[in-house]
Amino acid sequence: MAHNFTQADLEAYLDEALPMELMAQVEGALRDDPKLAQQLMAINGRRDAGLHSLGEIWRRHRLTCPSREQLGSFLLEVLEKDELAHIRFHLEVSGCRTCQANLADLKTRRVEDRTIVDGRRKKYFQSSAGQLRRG
Amino acid sequence: MAQAANSDQLLVARIRTGEPEAWNELIARFEGRLLAFVEGRLGRRSAGEDVVQETFLGFLNSLPNFEDSRPLESYLFSIAAHKLTDHLRREGRRPTLPLATNSSGGDWEPPAGGRAVSSIMRSGERKGLEEDALVQALSEQLERLRGKREFQKLECLELLFVRGWANRDVATQLSMSEQQVANFKFEFISRMRTLVRKQGLSEDVFPELTDRT
Repeated sequence: MAHNFTQADLEAYLDEALPMELMAQVEGALRDDPKLAQQLMAINGRRDAGLHSLGEIWRRHRLTCPSREQLGSFLLEVLEKDELAHIRFHLEVSGCRTCQANLADLKTRRVEDRTIVDGRRKKYFQSSAGQLRRG
Repeated sequence: MAQAANSDQLLVARIRTGEPEAWNELIARFEGRLLAFVEGRLGRRSAGEDVVQETFLGFLNSLPNFEDSRPLESYLFSIAAHKLTDHLRREGRRPTLPLATNSSGGDWEPPAGGRAVSSIMRSGERKGLEEDALVQALSEQLERLRGKREFQKLECLELLFVRGWANRDVATQLSMSEQQVANFKFEFISRMRTLVRKQGLSEDVFPELTDRT
């Protein structure tokens, strides 16, 4: 079955970094298309062989991601028009999952019930603090 | 960004000494964004919280190997991505790929020269140095464009390299001509090649730099 995923999309899929709707599409296509699995294995092979992909490095090092502060300003719409449009492009067209998560978090922080947040953080702390090691 | 990185480094240093308040602070700083990241894929709050919990445990377990120069947020997101992948596999949502890539690297062939893949197998250390050099070269170019507020060029390059879109699709998305896209791409690759050569690195390990389409 033919599909239209780019090589960069498949690399991002392996890193759980592809936009969510495309992640689901790749997962669906993988069930019917053995060639797609081979393509993904070839990417792994290329990585094992020590080759680099510009896009992978760019994404991993977040070279065009706005900072958390810039995302906050984006939310408040206090940036120049061209910069606002550029950040919107990064979130919506490029589909950066990490920045989308940061933005969602910033939005949630404005409205989420403090008791729920504190309860969640307490749970994380209690389940992991025992692993803290004295240096 | 530099200020945030500094503050993260100080926080990690305190966690290394076993300070519970510092650990609490790290959780408070990052749990919301990590939860948003995994929850979008899982669709359920409780499963999302489990994955975030595993992420924090994973971080503490890997702390002895964590390099302080590495951005903390990216590191946490990469752990979350692994934990999320594992979770989706256990649920049967994410198909498992056959484990190994064999020694010849599957059906992949190097882009030029026809060398056997084994001949360019190199140490992780070497690969890390090459990656650092490429990051430096990329950052220089992107910073220069950002400084001149050439956002359309930045967007064009992001779609070409990070998303791997074809010139035609990029042109349509950004209301540019295909020729403009091709020119930006050519100019960018030429500069990158020069920067890579300057650092004494081989272009062969960066296949996109030898792509002339």
